Amino acid sequence: MTTPHRSGGLLARMRRRRSVPRSKVRRRIGAATRLLAALVLAGGLYTAFAPAISAQDAPLSPAAMEGKALFDTSCITCHGMNAQGIEGRGPSLIGVGGASVDFQVGTGRMPLGSQNAQAVEKPPVFNEEQTRQLAQYVQELGGGPQIPEGNDLHSGGDIAAGGEIFRLNCSSCHAFGGGGGALSSGKFAPRLSDTTDRVIWGAMLSGPQNMPVFGDNQLSPDEKRDVIAYIQETLGDSNSDPGGFNLGRLGPTTEGLAVFVVGITALIFTALWIAGKS
Amino acid sequence: MTVQTTGDNGNGHRSPVPEEIDYDDPRTTRFEKVKAAARQDGVEIVHYEPQFPAGGSKTEKRMTRTVSLMFLLVGLFGTAFVVLYIVWPWRWEQGDTLMRWYTPLLGITLGLAFLFLAFAILTWGKKLLPREVSIQDRHDGGAPEGDRRAVGQTLAYMVEELGVKRRPLLGLAAAAGLAPVAVVVGAPIVGGLIKNPHADNQMFTTGWAPIAEPDGSTRLVRLTRDDGTPIRPADVSAGGQMTVFPGIPEGATNVHADSPTLLIHLRPEDAAVARANNVKGTGHDKFSRADFMYGDYIAYSKICTHAGCPASLYEQQTNRLLCPCHQSQFLITDNAKPVFGPASRSLPQLPIDVDDEGYLVAKSDYQATVGPDFWERP
Amino acid sequence: MKRRKIDVRALPAKAGNEVEDRLGVATPLRSIINKVFPDHWSFLLGEIALFSFIVLLLTGTFLTLFFEPSLKEVTYDGSYAPLRGVHMSAAYASSLDLSFDVRGGLIMRQMHHWSALVFMAAIIVHMLRIFFTGAFRKPREVNWIIGSLLFWVGFLAGFTGYSLPDDALSGTGLRIASAIMLSIPLIGTWLTSSIFNGEFPGDIIISRFFIAHVLLIPALLVALISVHLALVFKQKHTQWPGPGRTNTNVVGERFFPRYTIKQAGFFMAVAGVIALLAGAMQINPIWLFGPYEAGVVSAASQPDWYVMFLDGSTRLMPAWQINIGIGNGYVIPPIFWPTVVLPGILVGLSTMYPFVEARLNKDNKIHNLLQRPRDVPQRTAVGVMAVTFFLVLTLSGGNDVIADKFNISLNAMTWAGRIGLLILPPLFYWVAYRICLGLQQHDREVLAHGVETGIIRRAPDGRFYEVHQPLSTDHKELEYAGWVVPKKMNRLGALGPAVKGFFKPIERPAEAPVSPGHPPVEAPPERREIESKH
Repeated sequence: MTTPHRSGGLLARMRRRRSVPRSKVRRRIGAATRLLAALVLAGGLYTAFAPAISAQDAPLSPAAMEGKALFDTSCITCHGMNAQGIEGRGPSLIGVGGASVDFQVGTGRMPLGSQNAQAVEKPPVFNEEQTRQLAQYVQELGGGPQIPEGNDLHSGGDIAAGGEIFRLNCSSCHAFGGGGGALSSGKFAPRLSDTTDRVIWGAMLSGPQNMPVFGDNQLSPDEKRDVIAYIQETLGDSNSDPGGFNLGRLGPTTEGLAVFVVGITALIFTALWIAGKS
Repeated sequence: MTVQTTGDNGNGHRSPVPEEIDYDDPRTTRFEKVKAAARQDGVEIVHYEPQFPAGGSKTEKRMTRTVSLMFLLVGLFGTAFVVLYIVWPWRWEQGDTLMRWYTPLLGITLGLAFLFLAFAILTWGKKLLPREVSIQDRHDGGAPEGDRRAVGQTLAYMVEELGVKRRPLLGLAAAAGLAPVAVVVGAPIVGGLIKNPHADNQMFTTGWAPIAEPDGSTRLVRLTRDDGTPIRPADVSAGGQMTVFPGIPEGATNVHADSPTLLIHLRPEDAAVARANNVKGTGHDKFSRADFMYGDYIAYSKICTHAGCPASLYEQQTNRLLCPCHQSQFLITDNAKPVFGPASRSLPQLPIDVDDEGYLVAKSDYQATVGPDFWERP
Repeated sequence: MKRRKIDVRALPAKAGNEVEDRLGVATPLRSIINKVFPDHWSFLLGEIALFSFIVLLLTGTFLTLFFEPSLKEVTYDGSYAPLRGVHMSAAYASSLDLSFDVRGGLIMRQMHHWSALVFMAAIIVHMLRIFFTGAFRKPREVNWIIGSLLFWVGFLAGFTGYSLPDDALSGTGLRIASAIMLSIPLIGTWLTSSIFNGEFPGDIIISRFFIAHVLLIPALLVALISVHLALVFKQKHTQWPGPGRTNTNVVGERFFPRYTIKQAGFFMAVAGVIALLAGAMQINPIWLFGPYEAGVVSAASQPDWYVMFLDGSTRLMPAWQINIGIGNGYVIPPIFWPTVVLPGILVGLSTMYPFVEARLNKDNKIHNLLQRPRDVPQRTAVGVMAVTFFLVLTLSGGNDVIADKFNISLNAMTWAGRIGLLILPPLFYWVAYRICLGLQQHDREVLAHGVETGIIRRAPDGRFYEVHQPLSTDHKELEYAGWVVPKKMNRLGALGPAVKGFFKPIERPAEAPVSPGHPPVEAPPERREIESKH
């Protein structure tokens, strides 16, 4: 049973394609189609319940005006005039809020590079300032959740409380060590190291791609702060690896590999030397 | 003193060359005595050659120095281990970068001490000790025929002497008496451990079963967070999910390990599909799911029907739920039926509603059995 | 009073005599120190397992001094800040204390876990050596069975140990174990309920696993290992064929001194490698996993490597559920086949293999000489097939990690595993079989025609040919003796010797050694005019 007409065909096409491993190069080349599909899905679903606001009535702030200029050159092809979406190309951005733009553009997932199981992180096309202007524009167009100001969104968070929230809600996909994990049919949950507070906050708020939404109604801003504190200060900190090299925090898989590649190999070489003719 | 070596090698076999050796004879070297002793065990030292000529060659001296150096390194790393063990800051401290090296430093110094010891010993044995080739005879196949017969006859005789054949009553009585004793040994182990799995119908009930009040009415169990706070529908955004626990004492602990449930707020189109499929059912249901959803909210057991892991990797666009243990995938919009992987049964669906105060409650316990399958699941 | 003179030099002899008068140990001691052991690197693999087991016992004893096997709920208040104030079991809290609040506790924990992995890996590698060289044949079938059992008992030791800290990962493993027990027809629920004392997880499983892990299973391991070693001692070690080596003797070094020294050194090397692993690489960081809660799970939830093949078989198993429509209806869930039936078959096949092979070959002789894998193509191919099967399952046990790190679809990985499990073992059987035959043929060819010299000559009729150095003096075809056939000129002494050192060649004159690696020829061929052989 697939979702309605809007996504059915595309979904099926994606399924057929995504079972093949792709090289990085190919992945990049194909990027445009991929995010497009994701956005068709996301946006398509959004439109149905998004507040039917026509944003043109209110005048835009200066930052939003800058954002609109950027939007009209880089995003309009897929997301359409006034970000209302284009059937089969890109979803409407009405009501997704600045948080979503911050996340998608700030991590380089947008503009989309290639069609794939899901949009991947790339070097961002727009700088921080431009990202904020775009976010402001989308925000003023249709409202929606927004990331708080500032780059430090975790100081003062309760790490232990954040850890409990993380293990209950996040670790199932992103793994205990924050290394990420595989989802069905080529989709994946990305690793959480080397990311910023804003990105994590934006992801929780907007539920990008297949990630569930953790709105402020579910995880209060304080709880989000706790989780980010746990991710940044505990998972991102090498102090959490007091036992030596962490083997990618991939658990018993790499430990098992290491015991053969390092341990048994070293010991077999020793045995060769011991029994060798001197 | 003259020893007559019998050539007995301990296995009752005679070695081919019994010989005499005088252990006090100063004309025989100690090595010859060793050789003679080896011969007693059927061992012939055919090649025994010092690696270095007597007098000490350059190589020998170099080898000796190498081995000595390695022993010194053993001491060095051993000392380093002890010193680090005592002086290095070791207690975990947020942000302390020194303590993080405690365990690696201990492991590396200890490992190097052991390894240098290993190589010192091995080099000593390999390079400084004479090379040797010895040949020992095997004596496979056990004792010769005569010995076998002797033992066999003795055993048979002993059995005969017991006379069970002549006095069958003895055998029967002994068997009858000993059987219960054998049970005595096993009974406490089995009896103490055994536990009825169906006491309190525990395989088929969870923490979500409505609670019987003293006045005869029943109270529905609320959906709560892990800290016990109840949940309003507005607490989960569309495209969001939340792990919920029965709002009863210890509801979020492992006492109710079969109760964790995933509450999902579907997007309206998906919810419509899910509702339609709910009405249709899975085809195996012995109950109707028609009113299990509340609005766009749907709740499924988080405990996988395959092996009991929390199936909780919810993909909000494809509405698939993936279990990270064995990759079973369930389609949330189609009664959480398994669509991929080893799971063979839909996730049980929790019928939900909202109570007078606006909090989500379970309308009843799960209608299907929660958790991994077993033989007598109806 | 005049001091009695003590002749110091006579003391050892006197003491020895006193001991002997009372205990009578001289003769057995002599036979032990005179025992001859053959020398080959592949005979040292079992020792890796033995020595890592000793490390396991030592480190494990240390851990028991601090571990509290209890599921009683406590609130953590130790050094590790990110978990402070979290409710958890006493078992998990004491494991955290072992890692953070016991000086040197973490290195002990890590050494214990690494040596467990080394122990199981060494058992497998040792078993492969025994299998591929035919060392399990009569009279050693019993020791083969004990060895196979050691793997499964070690497996249980590992799994119970993995479960003890009661972290979220081990709890997940325990839950799967309970599901496996539940799946057994008829008795599943009763078995699970009896082991967990009620519903999963109950409140006693950790104490039960603890006593199994620190007493029952180690006692069984010690007993099995003792018998295993005693049998090796009694039956004497197998050896490779070679000059002077027959089915009725052992050629090698005496137990004392060189063999003992090598063993002592190797023990230190094993301990050293384990300590280095434990220092350099973090293993099982339970503090990141948090306490076990029934609703908590992580992506990439895997067991330790030696259990991973069962995880893999479970992942690959199609969702085939058997419904039995009698009465209320009964179910055999799909998890039953890959986790109960498959290991059962594996235990049966592996332990019975020596008897199966002996029966097929109608072989009732005693074998003390090993076989080169190439000389027994069927067995080698069967072994390769088994290894392939095991590897496909093990890789499938980590297929989500592979999918994630190499950008492969997870579903594709599962299908690749399912198809691979059916296709690859027979394919590799065939490949191994052909390789064995090819190697055999080349050996026979060299024995018949001699070693390739690399010298090309032109015959008067214009034909080119390579000159071969025959191995026998009279151009006769030599008998294959079951051992390495020299294939290079310097192996014959015809070229400058290249005695290989460990890392670089050590230039030394060739000796007349009694060692493997030499042709089964009587006299080394003299330096003659190299002649054609056609």
